[in-house]
Amino acid sequence: MQGTELVLRALHARGVKYIFGYTGGAIMPVFDEMEKQKLFTFVMPRHEQGATFMAQGMSRASLSTATPQIGVCMATSGPGAMNLVTGVADAHMDSVPIVAITGQVATGVIATDAFQESDVVGVMMPICKQTYMPLSADEIEKTIHEAFYVATTGRFGPVVIDIPKDVQVQQARENYNFDLKKFRPKLPGFYYHPSPERDVLHQAIELINRSERPVLFCGHGVISSNAGAMLQEFAEKTNIPVAFTLHGLSAMPVDHPLSLGMMGMHGTVEANRAVMNADLIISFGMRFDDRVTGKLKEYAKDADVIHVEIDPSELDKNVKTTVAINADVSRTLHVMLNDPELNSKPRRRWLQEIEENRQVTISSVADELADGVGIAGKLLMKTIIHRLSEITEGKDIVVPDVGQHQMMSARYYNFQTNNSWFTSGGAGTMGCSLPMAIGAKLARPEERVWSISGDGGFQMNIQELGTIMEQKTDVKIMILNNGYLGMVRQWQTLFFDGRYAGTPMQSPDYGLIAQAYGIPYLKVAELDQVDAAIRTAIAHDGAYILEFICDPSEVILPMIPAGGGFGDMIVSRPQA
Amino acid sequence: MTVKKMKRRAILAFVQNKPGTLNKISMMIRRKMYNVDTLTVCKAKPPGVSRMTITLREDDEAKVTQVIRQLEKFTEVIRAKELDRDCSYWREVAIVKFELDTKKLEKLQKKYQIEILDSKPHDIHIIQIAGPTDRLDSFLDDLGAEHLIEIARTGVTAMDK
Ligand SMILES: Cc1ncc(C[n+]2csc(CCOP(=O)(O)OP(=O)(O)O)c2C)c(N)n1
Ligand SMILES: [Mg+2]
Repeated sequence: MQGTELVLRALHARGVKYIFGYTGGAIMPVFDEMEKQKLFTFVMPRHEQGATFMAQGMSRASLSTATPQIGVCMATSGPGAMNLVTGVADAHMDSVPIVAITGQVATGVIATDAFQESDVVGVMMPICKQTYMPLSADEIEKTIHEAFYVATTGRFGPVVIDIPKDVQVQQARENYNFDLKKFRPKLPGFYYHPSPERDVLHQAIELINRSERPVLFCGHGVISSNAGAMLQEFAEKTNIPVAFTLHGLSAMPVDHPLSLGMMGMHGTVEANRAVMNADLIISFGMRFDDRVTGKLKEYAKDADVIHVEIDPSELDKNVKTTVAINADVSRTLHVMLNDPELNSKPRRRWLQEIEENRQVTISSVADELADGVGIAGKLLMKTIIHRLSEITEGKDIVVPDVGQHQMMSARYYNFQTNNSWFTSGGAGTMGCSLPMAIGAKLARPEERVWSISGDGGFQMNIQELGTIMEQKTDVKIMILNNGYLGMVRQWQTLFFDGRYAGTPMQSPDYGLIAQAYGIPYLKVAELDQVDAAIRTAIAHDGAYILEFICDPSEVILPMIPAGGGFGDMIVSRPQA
Repeated sequence: MTVKKMKRRAILAFVQNKPGTLNKISMMIRRKMYNVDTLTVCKAKPPGVSRMTITLREDDEAKVTQVIRQLEKFTEVIRAKELDRDCSYWREVAIVKFELDTKKLEKLQKKYQIEILDSKPHDIHIIQIAGPTDRLDSFLDDLGAEHLIEIARTGVTAMDK
């Protein structure tokens, strides 16, 4: 067998159905074999970065289905591979398992600055979980299987496989034979602890039982280990409120009575004050990132911290733990739920304090939500997201881009469906939404998928409308157009005396763009058209673009300034 | 500005001898901005395994734990641990070229166990000295910077008692 056949055989054995790829000299042999076999559905992005986010959408959305599927993207050497960098780094920051396969120049000319040669392994090494370069056809299958194993074992992450062109076309040795059933990756240094140790678990349960003011943290690990329902059961059983990280959203219904909504920089008042006043934090699958903690010195000063995390290097990294549990979130929850010692308490005063803070959040935006519009009658993003949430009953898949509209979506969409929120958090990569939504839709075709972008981010990967056109992917697209790089503008309003350097931005006529790609389009500038527009997009069978003309002066609050403590939270808008 | 000297620590790691492993580890050290003093690598007993000794300056226990956990996160790292200063030997070797009159050299020779590799005209000598870092340092102090021409040090390698 030839190298290329072995590549495809390995991918097929791993349940891969879609390949997001862009061809070029050094990867042509793999594409050629793909064309011969016709085993995979091939999706061509219009830029290799699009392929990485489509792969992310595939991995993330399919994770909670009966047939999880790792997103695979492919590119040629040199510029093709370099165009994957941002999406791979993004997947690394957000622990998303994707497999990126790149063609490399032939081994004979590596290191000669050959045409389209780049040091892919060197570039990717610090921004992905593992890199590989098989040097013979015999190594290919074993490498790809190990890559999938590494990507999906322990804390998830992206892996990169760089295959020289001559290796792709090499024949395996005559008696070459690979038995997947017998395959065990030879990785003596790669261990992880799925099950919690008994003694730390008991310490944790004791702390939980004793606590008067506990808070549960729901992080990305809850989603990745499919443990949302168990976390909810745990919260209900112990009567402990739950705060979500950006990536923990949608693990359980966000309007659950015990839900505090999102915490951190743009978190709710009730979540952040609960963290500030807690005597115990029980954190599942998260990493105390600076957008969550603010100033570390002031963070949760009075709280004991139980940290359940699959990656030991995250334990005690930013926040000192009282009890560190290095284990899989789902297994830990399972064991804890079945422990007869685990107790519940009414905690009436604690829950009442939380309720009072919840009212602070609600009243801080009550006027805006009632008006629905801001200055000069322009639409507010929060109104649009709120209406979308009402109309879809919080059940749809939401894929935001990065910016104010992202935080508005996080705060005002009433998530009801498990694993229905895919966002770029750790890296915050503008332009991720449109391609990631395509991947998500292909993974979950029965569900409605909304790609929500700002005017800035939408123009960063606008070319993927071409993919939507070609694949006839039914993604509902919202552009929340405020004429600015809004999130940066907000910082300028609050911290740079309103000097808007490099943030005003012109948009093309999105109607004409939509028309060029053959996608129906509606522009919405009036409040009374919002609902009808959303319903029109829903009723249409296929992609739809809605552009909303938004108020640039809207800000997302509360906000804890970068590097500030929870006491510095800005709750209401400063008067201009 | 006075810079407080931080405690010296040694980390021992056994790693798979694969291309890129050293690159990966040194990149991680740069990325995390650890204050690494020395890094030495040699073959370990099992074939295909390398032994790596890293010394760094760090007072913060949590940071040292971080280095070890970051190392262990690499699939190529089989095992990593800190070596307790009191329960391990830390040694290095230096080759030193200097200009010194014979009398003074004899004095140094008495005080330190040095091996003279070469003595050239005009009082130029090349010697080898091995031992704990502070012995090498103190030899260099006694020699005096004004006499030193060139020096090569291996960096620290270490072993549990
Ligand atoms: C690739 C990239 N470049 C720059 C940034 C910095 N940045 C974060 S949010 C933002 C503004 C986004 O503007 P827009 O897409 O219009 O969304 P809005 O905030 O207006 O809703 C910028 C420039 C980023 N996150 N990603
Ligand atoms: Mg904008």
